[in-house]
Amino acid sequence: MEDRPCALLLKFPGTNCDAETARALEAVGFVTEVLPVSALKPGKLVGVSLVVLSGGFSYGDYVMSGRIASLVTEQKIGETLKDFRDNGGYILGICNGFQILTQLDLLPAGSLVENASGRFQCQWVKMKNLAPKSPFLSRCPAEFELPIAHAEGRLVTKEAAEAAGYLKSGAAALVYTDEVNGSFERIAGLTDESGRVFGLMPHPERFMKARDHYDPDWEGGEGGWGSGYWLFKSLHEAIKEGEA
Amino acid sequence: MSDPATLNPLERIAEAPADHYRVLKISDLDGDRLLELSKFMKLSLSREDMLAIQAIYAEWKREPTDVELEVIAQTWSEHCKHRIFGATIEHEVDGKAETVKSLFKTYIRDVSQRIFDSKPGFVLSAFHDNAGFIKLDDELAVCLKAETHNHPSAIEPYAGANTGLGGVIRDILGAGKGAKPIGSLDVFCFGAPDTTMENIKADDVIHPLGVMRGVVRGVRDYGNRMGIPTISGAIQFDDSYIYNPLVYCGTAGVIPIKDIAKKIEPGMKVISVGGRTGRDGLHGATFSSAALDTDSHESDQQAVQIGNPIEEKKAADFVLAARDKGLIEFITDCGAGGYSSAAGEMLEECGGTIDLDQVKLKEPGLVSWEVFISESQERMVLAVKESSLPELRKLADLYETELTELGTADGSGILKVTHHGNTVCELDCSKLHDAPTRHLKGRWTKKTAPVEAPVLTNPGQALRDLFTDFAIVSREPIIREYDHEVQGNTVLKPLAGATGDAPQDASVLRISGSKRLMAMSVALLPEWGKTDPYAMGAACVDECVRQLVAAGADPERLAILDNFCMGNPDAEEELGALVETVKGIAAVAEVYGAPFVSGKDSFYNYFETKEGPVSIPVTILISGMGIIEEESHVTGASLRKSDSLLAIIGHTASDLGGSVFARRHGIENASVPSTRSEEAWSCYRKFYEAVKKGYIRSAHDVSEGGLAVTLAEMAFSGKAGLEIDLCSLPMDDDASKAAMLFGESPSRLVIEVAPEHLAKVADLFEGLPFAALGRATTAHANLHIEWGKETLVNEPLADLKSLWKTGLARYY
Repeated sequence: MEDRPCALLLKFPGTNCDAETARALEAVGFVTEVLPVSALKPGKLVGVSLVVLSGGFSYGDYVMSGRIASLVTEQKIGETLKDFRDNGGYILGICNGFQILTQLDLLPAGSLVENASGRFQCQWVKMKNLAPKSPFLSRCPAEFELPIAHAEGRLVTKEAAEAAGYLKSGAAALVYTDEVNGSFERIAGLTDESGRVFGLMPHPERFMKARDHYDPDWEGGEGGWGSGYWLFKSLHEAIKEGEA
Repeated sequence: MSDPATLNPLERIAEAPADHYRVLKISDLDGDRLLELSKFMKLSLSREDMLAIQAIYAEWKREPTDVELEVIAQTWSEHCKHRIFGATIEHEVDGKAETVKSLFKTYIRDVSQRIFDSKPGFVLSAFHDNAGFIKLDDELAVCLKAETHNHPSAIEPYAGANTGLGGVIRDILGAGKGAKPIGSLDVFCFGAPDTTMENIKADDVIHPLGVMRGVVRGVRDYGNRMGIPTISGAIQFDDSYIYNPLVYCGTAGVIPIKDIAKKIEPGMKVISVGGRTGRDGLHGATFSSAALDTDSHESDQQAVQIGNPIEEKKAADFVLAARDKGLIEFITDCGAGGYSSAAGEMLEECGGTIDLDQVKLKEPGLVSWEVFISESQERMVLAVKESSLPELRKLADLYETELTELGTADGSGILKVTHHGNTVCELDCSKLHDAPTRHLKGRWTKKTAPVEAPVLTNPGQALRDLFTDFAIVSREPIIREYDHEVQGNTVLKPLAGATGDAPQDASVLRISGSKRLMAMSVALLPEWGKTDPYAMGAACVDECVRQLVAAGADPERLAILDNFCMGNPDAEEELGALVETVKGIAAVAEVYGAPFVSGKDSFYNYFETKEGPVSIPVTILISGMGIIEEESHVTGASLRKSDSLLAIIGHTASDLGGSVFARRHGIENASVPSTRSEEAWSCYRKFYEAVKKGYIRSAHDVSEGGLAVTLAEMAFSGKAGLEIDLCSLPMDDDASKAAMLFGESPSRLVIEVAPEHLAKVADLFEGLPFAALGRATTAHANLHIEWGKETLVNEPLADLKSLWKTGLARYY
């Protein structure tokens, strides 16, 4: 009997971080299935502990990023996914996955729009961990770095006050320490009220090993791991605890 | 009946015209008429070629169809056949005559073959497949391919560069039985961003800034969407590229060794996956075999394709999944020449039938030749067992890509194409292999002379000035637009060091499933080639190899690619420069044992302006891949510790030719430094020993801007200031201060070592040019360079870095 928790990673046409995200999930102890979305149906969520939407350009992101993928997901498993969350399932969206989640009403209201720079930005950013009790961030330090790579990562809300409210409510789990892309309140990652849905723009799967850091002398690589490892590790531990 | 006088050259000879193809009566045309027909049909075939075709058909006792002529034109195009690299060239160097029978065979293939033979089992495939493979470990091989997309990028920069990268990615997907693309490189040559409109001497030419922005975004949008990290690159700016910008795109791949060999056999099905076929991209191969002019910007738009990276991503996912399941027997990409080249390549020996009625079209009404040669993007052609078809169809559905059965291989040796019930093409490809050998003339006369170096009154100011030059300023604004970390394997990033923004020499990728890594680098020095193409070729191979070695690659396990661009091959001086360049790359590659495993060439990069033709200088890009034994060998180019000592490997010559310093100080035709390849090769092997022993903290190659720029760049990591003394610099006796600081002699590396290791490293380099240069310091944050008691440079590193970081940002 397989005692590792199961993760299901949805692959849309244009999803391109699936391999390394699956690798990261496997590294911390998940059994991972990468599922092309053409084969997605509600039954696929049976026995799954974690649904992952990874980075990429789903359907090219030619209309608003994540838009078509969110419609396809809604149409195929919309209600099932909400039931999945309500019944204790975890959902993680990274970059394009975060963009898709914001349009599935699984996260507090907000849109990820074009960066204030008007450009694609591939760089490393530092973030503050504002939700050290989150199952996604419990093993992450108070401040840590991850790489970003996106053109549409600026989180905006209808009213600026809403974003400020996310800081108070704890929904803003991760914020950039510096101005990066024009996000309201420098928000980099959001979590929902259940605490089991989390979306972030940075790429934890790209910083699994200390040596992935741009500085060969980076000091922080406990056990040779990078900061991204601890995010996946947190999640794995939370799920294992929940199952125990 | 129309009056024959009003008919065009095609209509005059079309017999029994069907609505989708025509038989063309060429048997009684004279050379002039044949050439006229070639031009009218945009075949880019010469009079000799057309006469040869006429003779072949006379032998066959029939007339060709338009489809057949198009197929032959594709097959014989410069783009596909490299006729100039195969030509017999009567060459003259400084008055001495020689005959070169095939540049390719003499200098590329034969040199590489000798290297292959000396390293059995290392090069696993070269020249005949879409890309050359070298062994990574017992299970896996890596490959690299680079292509140019110059003409399309001149006319439509975004789409041209977009499809340029899309095309080379397909080359990798079509290499072996399908390699996985793991990293891309891009190299551009543009006019200067600050070119004034008065300096553009022709109408409808796109300003260099427009070209640069379009090209970068084109690469960005294809590479990022495909999820392939763009990790390596270079940009050269020169007025000679205003009319003919150069866009090189390259991609590396990885494949299980067992999947390299591929073979097509009778009975196999030929299928196409990916995009549909349309009128876009007609005559791309032949279009790129001719010069541009103002009219090109109007009339050749049709030759530029439209890219759709998601279509290609779906096809790529399908191909890699199908390969893993063992369902692919043969695969190649649809590039120049479309199905005609892809099916031709597949069926040239085996033979078979292609049914154009099966082809899925973007729009109705394409005639036969259009369907067969359209270069519509995002298509791959595969040969598979018939029994595999059901599973392949399921996979195509899973990855949402379209699969079309095109035909069957039959062992007849004949390429047969049917459409609407007619046979529109029936060619014995074995008869078409030998396009007539071209006969060309080349000439080269020495252009350089020793020039007295200028007296340096303020070296610090000269250094600041260099850090504003477009050749040197940081490419950061562009690099950040490329996702260089997708796939999560980019260990040594294009910008790294303690602050994450310092320049590196090579980039390094981890390879999933292996303990070994792959380094990738590029080198080009077109300025050198203007006066000394041989030295340019030599130095480009040296620089590429040096960067790979600097990053920690094993010098015995490297392979390189040669990608040439030049203007008019019919101009003797230009062709002469090409011949000299080829000799230069071959000579150094042989000494280094770095085989060429793939190459490409692009001619006719000249433009008819109002003031006469403007050609680009002969431009060679050497790109390379190298195997890194283990992750601990990966070496960056940024200063890491404040207690380190610095040393230089390699000899500094007095020559200033080709340098950025010379350009900025108006020094013309100065002799360029030669590559002391035997000595350099010894140094690189010693360097690798030092890497393996863990002595090297960092290493940076000395290139554009010379030693002073290299030192500053290393210290851009912000870790420390530098105290340097040049008193023991290994150099020519008559080397000037300018040459010491800013000369660009090849084969030099600056290394950072721990104090306790310096003596051991020095011992390793006994008898080779090596000297301690100085140390890192926390006492100040300057680049302080002395020569004996004299201070040459004392500049705050922060100021230099600021100049370097902002130079291009204003324009991009």
